[in-house]
Amino acid sequence: MRALIAAATGLAVALALVLTITAVGAPSGETSPKPLLTTVPKHP
Amino acid sequence: MRRKASLVLLAFAVFCAAMSPLMRWYAFPRLAKIPPSQYQEAVLEAKNPTLIDYGTMKAKKVPMVTIVQTLKGNVEASEKIEKSADRDVVVWDALSYVQDAEGKMVSKIPERYIFDAHSQEPVHATGEMVDGDPVKREGIEFKWPFLTEKRDYEYFDAQARITRPIHYKGTQDFRGVKVYYFEQTIPWTKVPFPRTMPVKDITPESLAKTGTTRWYTTIRKFWVDPTTGAPVYGEEIQRNELRGGTLLGDRDKVTVFAGHVKMREDYIQSTVDLVKSQRVLVLLLTSYLPWGFLVLGALLLALSLWLEARSRRPGDPAPSAAKDPEPEPVKA
Repeated sequence: MRALIAAATGLAVALALVLTITAVGAPSGETSPKPLLTTVPKHP
Repeated sequence: MRRKASLVLLAFAVFCAAMSPLMRWYAFPRLAKIPPSQYQEAVLEAKNPTLIDYGTMKAKKVPMVTIVQTLKGNVEASEKIEKSADRDVVVWDALSYVQDAEGKMVSKIPERYIFDAHSQEPVHATGEMVDGDPVKREGIEFKWPFLTEKRDYEYFDAQARITRPIHYKGTQDFRGVKVYYFEQTIPWTKVPFPRTMPVKDITPESLAKTGTTRWYTTIRKFWVDPTTGAPVYGEEIQRNELRGGTLLGDRDKVTVFAGHVKMREDYIQSTVDLVKSQRVLVLLLTSYLPWGFLVLGALLLALSLWLEARSRRPGDPAPSAAKDPEPEPVKA
């Protein structure tokens, strides 16, 4: 019974961690202020 | 004590074993995405191409034509579309600006490309266009999906506004990166005139009135990193012609542009470096972490079972019997 509880705890923590990480996701950021280029840049 | 330790190890073993598939099949599709704020530029060059002189309406050899391609993620537009699309969307405002060796504009084609941030599937929404013409893209453009497969893909051609297969032609080594080589041929196709022409007096409408039409063919080559789906190098062998109509006089056709376009050397290096850094992040989610968790989970499980077996070794006193003291009677 105690082994079952330990396994269930491990599983629950894994699920909670992955769900939290994916729910938070990455920030969108902001649209770059740089223009669409109409001149040839010298270097990348 | 050993039993307690084995139970803790078992919990960690199950945690790791669960994390392995969760990372690969749950977290990866939700976390590996093109950032909506991405800004990227590339410079391509065609050396000694043939280019039309709209003043004389004759084609001539020129030393160089340069194409500056900019992709700019429009975060506000993507957030607006995401509300109705119910998935993460990227909106790229792109510009292909072509200039001759003297720096004069040859053509400029703006585009708006809307796609799913993970799968690269096109998303259809208001504003999707090529050179001001509303389009409904099918297939991919600019980038392949993460974990690109060894198969043909449907690729959208912005000049012709059509989707045709781009064929997988083999695996190669490109500057230390294992890449998939893809090739697409667009046969001679009638295409619209660009809205912005290099000469003021000439407009798409005035050209259309003369009965002259524009035709285009290209062989498009991409070397794609299969992990990120990002092209590390690209080439195009392109031909553009004007055909028929009163504009050409007694000639059947005149070449507008004919040349072999290749990515500029410094941009190849920066693209390879960028792809190399990004592929580590994708591999972390698809390979390093899932396999790492699986191996660690197996080790922890083995250790947990070993501890459990030791705690139950015959001859060892039962942990509960040895440690639980006899209850003492309570004296009033």
